[in-house]
Amino acid sequence: MFDKVLIANRGEIAVRINRACRELGIKTVAVHSTADAEAMHARLADESVCIGPPPPRESYLDIPAIIAAGEITNADAIHPGYGFLSENADFASIVEEHGFAFIGPSPAHITLMGDKIRAKQTARELGLPVVPGSDSALESDESVAAASAKIGYPLLIKAVAGGGGRGIKRVDRREDLLPAVATARAEAGAAFGSDGLYLEKLVAAARHIEIQVLADRFGRAVHLGERDCSLQRRHQKVLEEAPSPALNAEQREEIGRRVQAATTELGYRGVGTFEFLYEDGAFYFIEMNTRLQVEHPVTEMITGIDLVREQIRIAAGVPLALSQEDVRLDGHAIECRIAAEDPQTFRPSPGVVSGYHTPGGPGVRVDSALYDGYRIPPYYDSLISKVIVHAGSRNECLMRLRRALEEYLIQGVSTTVPLHLRLLADAEFANGAYDNRWFERFVARVGAGAS
Amino acid sequence: MAVKLPLERDREEPGQAADFDLIRELAALLEETGLTEIEIGEGARRVRVAKSPAPAPRLAPVPREAEEGDRPAAGPADASHPGAVTSPMVGVVYVAPEPGAKPFISVGDEVRKGETLFVVEAMKTINPIRAPRPGRVTRIVAENGAPVEYGEVLLILE
Repeated sequence: MFDKVLIANRGEIAVRINRACRELGIKTVAVHSTADAEAMHARLADESVCIGPPPPRESYLDIPAIIAAGEITNADAIHPGYGFLSENADFASIVEEHGFAFIGPSPAHITLMGDKIRAKQTARELGLPVVPGSDSALESDESVAAASAKIGYPLLIKAVAGGGGRGIKRVDRREDLLPAVATARAEAGAAFGSDGLYLEKLVAAARHIEIQVLADRFGRAVHLGERDCSLQRRHQKVLEEAPSPALNAEQREEIGRRVQAATTELGYRGVGTFEFLYEDGAFYFIEMNTRLQVEHPVTEMITGIDLVREQIRIAAGVPLALSQEDVRLDGHAIECRIAAEDPQTFRPSPGVVSGYHTPGGPGVRVDSALYDGYRIPPYYDSLISKVIVHAGSRNECLMRLRRALEEYLIQGVSTTVPLHLRLLADAEFANGAYDNRWFERFVARVGAGAS
Repeated sequence: MAVKLPLERDREEPGQAADFDLIRELAALLEETGLTEIEIGEGARRVRVAKSPAPAPRLAPVPREAEEGDRPAAGPADASHPGAVTSPMVGVVYVAPEPGAKPFISVGDEVRKGETLFVVEAMKTINPIRAPRPGRVTRIVAENGAPVEYGEVLLILE
């Protein structure tokens, strides 16, 4: 096992990783920017190293600074958390070249899944259902026409180099296709420096359902069920729950089995997530995340498995101690992402937390780096806290979540707690009747009602 | 607290053993006065008692008190000193181009803008730390071979 782990992140996830390390008896090194000298992640770690000024590019994304911090503190492994350098294959390689263990998958797997076209090809080869679309970048009008005939309408034109919702065009009729392709090619060339395009079936009113996997270096892999992350605003998840209200036990078993087999065949190690769109009983693979995810606590609550602990043990070469038969899904869990934002305008609200009280009691967990008197810096993500609740059923879970959010006191800054409370009072949400477009409509509806 | 007791005795006076009572007395005097070094002479015999200051924590391992305010960076020297030259990177600082070589600078030196003051090794590359402005070196804070953080004070240039 490792003696000392450097945590190359900040905020709640750095605190979360610090907790897992301490419980494994591992010493920790925090890295921080000058803006985070008083941040909780730096205060809780055994050692902390200031690695640069506030801009992420000069601190949390500065690979030489992070490696040097690992060297001067004699760390033997580096945990990247999520965001920042967590899906940067070059970083993973450099970490290993400098003699540290990278707490994550191999650089080759990060590279493979980071290329969205190769990731889909790989998923198809591994026997996973994929959104019908062209397998490769389309060069000629003939190949575009041939691909569109197979896919049908409506369809999406996507830029190979795009991502995060950018470089996408919807086409509803055949006669609109070629003009739209010409425009999309010019736009992609200008925006991304590459005019490669591909086509994909439009999956309109879908749910976002993802499967968590855990795999060791010795070919053993398990799936830990799904999370439903359909509640999104501008492609950012807002609330996640498990199990999904949309799946029955048979569908869960079927997709889980296929993902587990795919993970084994891929030779993947560590924690990972296969993301799917789900519509009318069918799953379509969209991408794989080769890292720990923000919403991992939801899975931890219903399985009783500490994913960060397992991730560290796997990186240290310890075989997975559980098999698929040992994985039991118990009850229901929901996570709310609390952001330092105005609950109506979503304008960021950095500032000093002048009063702070966290909810507690049965089945409530708060993952956060906030404290009374903390100054939320303006340089980073607005996510300040995650409230996760666990209960025997979805209904109990909703009641518990409302109770917990009502207890939560964060003074001095605006937060999205009121928005979550309004969401919990909504009948459609309470019935689980939502897809990945639903939340934006909900925000428009309550925004109109409030103003 | 480490108390070093280097005893400089006149070797030409055989038979005179170290005066441990005197050393104890001087050590107590160091504590009492807060001095780091006392040397006294009696005839040809000299006794010097020196204490190295308690090592300042290089990394900031413990939460600091709230009233310390918004210090931009942790470190043993005050970065708010107008003459402070701080490290632009994390790494290991060296005062000379190679082990055993003459240091780049000494206290009292006048340096030109752009003159190399130290090197910082990070990821096996050597990075020169250059003088941001001309001035006279009044204090060298960086210790040879010690780890430095971003923003840590390396020297005072006035």
